[in-house]
Amino acid sequence: MKNASIRIRLTLWYGVALGLILVIFAGVIYVVMSKAMQDEVDASLEEAAAVAVRTLGEHRFGPFLIFEDLSQDFPELALLDKFFQIFGPAGQVTIQSANIQSREIPLSQTAFQASLNGQATFESVRFDQGVPFRLLSVPIRHGERLVNILRVGTSLQPTVDMLDRLLLALLIASPLAVIVSLLGGWFLAGRALRPVDSITHAAQRIAAGDLTQRITAPRSTDEIGRLASTFNDMIARLEVSFRQIRLFSADASHELRTPLTITKGETELALRRPRGAEDYRKVLESNLEEIDRMSRIVDELLFLSRADLGEIKLKQVPIQLDDLLRDVQQQALVLGKDRQVETVVKEISPMMVSGDELRLRELFLNLIDNAIKYSHPGDTVEMSLVPNGEKGEFIVKDQGIGISLEDQPRIFDRFYRTDSARSHSTKGTGLGLSICKWIVETHKGAIRVQSMPNQGSSFTVLLPLSPSIP
Amino acid sequence: MRLLLVEDEPKVASFIRRALEEESYAVDVCVDGTTGLDWAQGVNYDLIILDLMLPGLPGLQLLRQLRAAGVKTPVLILTARSEVDQRVKGLDAGADDYLTKPFAIEELIARARALFRRASGTPTGTLQVDDLVLNPVTREVTRAGQRIELTAKEYALLEYLMRNAGRVLTRPMITEHVWDLDFDTFTNVIDVYISYLRNKIDRGRENSLIQTVRGSGYMIRADS
Ligand SMILES: Nc1ncnc2c1ncn2[C@@H]1O[C@H](COP(=O)(O)OP(=O)(O)OP(=O)(O)O)[C@@H](O)[C@H]1O
Ligand SMILES: [Mg+2]
Repeated sequence: MKNASIRIRLTLWYGVALGLILVIFAGVIYVVMSKAMQDEVDASLEEAAAVAVRTLGEHRFGPFLIFEDLSQDFPELALLDKFFQIFGPAGQVTIQSANIQSREIPLSQTAFQASLNGQATFESVRFDQGVPFRLLSVPIRHGERLVNILRVGTSLQPTVDMLDRLLLALLIASPLAVIVSLLGGWFLAGRALRPVDSITHAAQRIAAGDLTQRITAPRSTDEIGRLASTFNDMIARLEVSFRQIRLFSADASHELRTPLTITKGETELALRRPRGAEDYRKVLESNLEEIDRMSRIVDELLFLSRADLGEIKLKQVPIQLDDLLRDVQQQALVLGKDRQVETVVKEISPMMVSGDELRLRELFLNLIDNAIKYSHPGDTVEMSLVPNGEKGEFIVKDQGIGISLEDQPRIFDRFYRTDSARSHSTKGTGLGLSICKWIVETHKGAIRVQSMPNQGSSFTVLLPLSPSIP
Repeated sequence: MRLLLVEDEPKVASFIRRALEEESYAVDVCVDGTTGLDWAQGVNYDLIILDLMLPGLPGLQLLRQLRAAGVKTPVLILTARSEVDQRVKGLDAGADDYLTKPFAIEELIARARALFRRASGTPTGTLQVDDLVLNPVTREVTRAGQRIELTAKEYALLEYLMRNAGRVLTRPMITEHVWDLDFDTFTNVIDVYISYLRNKIDRGRENSLIQTVRGSGYMIRADS
């Protein structure tokens, strides 16, 4: 049973339940019917007895009654399907109707005793041939004295036949009904379960690695339909995140391959033949640069994947944001000097936020670094920090290469670098803004970009302010 | 032998160029796809080494356009992705060979050599004109079994002449295949190098192999 399919189990349960109901139902019908028929027989016996008693009353009561006289006077008695017996006060038969033939039907002890007490008795008896009879014995009294006992009897054979036929009908009809319902149940369960099979097949193909599979069950709103659409949604989400992971690891390996190619190629080239000390020094310097690049990529990747897993715990401490920015600006001045880019703070208002100082510093520095990196020598980078409603607004604005409208939504993607950025500055992994976005989001803030190619870009960060401590 | 290298990462381009120049090849470097396509169509290169990830025009597209324009120069692609479909796509687009980054520098050189060999139709690799033999793998040159020491440029010039033995090579053709773009075409460098080669190969021998074809250029041939 445990291993049988749901279809078989459903069908069997269905059949067993119906069978039980039918057995109880048939039993009740049989009992009720037999009781009703017996009551009817008894009622007819009582009626016949009443007729006979009345008839006897019109004659005279006494131990010696002549049935022929009786039947002459009351022809209806003989016509009935009942027989009569009239016993004397001692219980001996005095008269009995002809239709009783030669059968010996003596008065039972119980009936005789009851008659002595003036009570009528119903009895069911069976004689040697097996024909069952129903008997009614009625005492006829004259004052306190028992004069006669009248007995009316009838064969129960018609009743028994009827009940037998009823039983037969029930015995044939019930299994038939069960069989029909089993077939119907099998069919219905199969129909209801067919989408489950298709879900199973789809799941098997998906398990084999094909995430493009979808279940093609009808888009109904029943349980199966809901299961199918939930399943499809789940697979769609899985497919998206799998594609992202595949893209991410392909990008990661691509980004690591470039520095690897350089270190390997330059080293092999240097080793091909003896060279001067200066040549070796150049190779080592270049390799060191590439090793630094690789460790930066690895660090940033590790940070992002740990962030994805929710393993990075951020501090929640009050931070004076304007102080932090002034601090970062000192670093920005040095960065800018290297590229002849001027960095100026336009406006700076005191404000408090709650968060992780290290991460917020990284956020500012990344944005300022980008602004300087993607500027031309002689350009200016402007920064400002002003309150904007419930939020603090940090803006970095440059006059650099800008970002095309198509590229703007993608620059926050991991490893994404625009072509113009690549040809402008070869340094960079394309992870900076992904990290910025993560930092901003974990501080419940928002980051936006506005940019025009060749005119410059402006990055805006909104951070929720914490109520200032007086 | 003159090559075009299309590669946007300057350091990668730089070491590949130095390695190939040490092999006496002339190398032009291009950092984006669009210029790469222009040059590949404008100059008669002997080999193009093409990175697939390029700003401007992606490498695969460049390759397709090049083949569509009827340029049959052998192309060796460099891919950073080892996925099979990248290589298959590259080969389908008309590449002759591929290398996955990071690669061994010797392998790059060997593959470049194999592509030259295939293009000039000499499968064994050694080139021979009469009793003059040049082995491109070892870069060894012998005449009548005697070793001849050549400088890198002399060697490059001789290899080019020998790959086209029996054919007249004009000065512009020689410039195009042996020197790179920085070469100043107004000097008589070719004549100077030819005379160097003659000194080392033909001097004191019965028959001279390098011949001057008056008014057009030079040729190397067995019978005088
Ligand atoms: N101020 C800016 N001006 C123009 N383009 C920008 C600017 N800031 C970002 N970008 C574009 O967005 C891309 C992604 O920026 P991101 O900071 O993530 O990477 P990166 O600066 O290239 O490398 P790194 O990981 O070293 O920061 C850049 O490559 C560039 O194309
Ligand atoms: Mg950056």
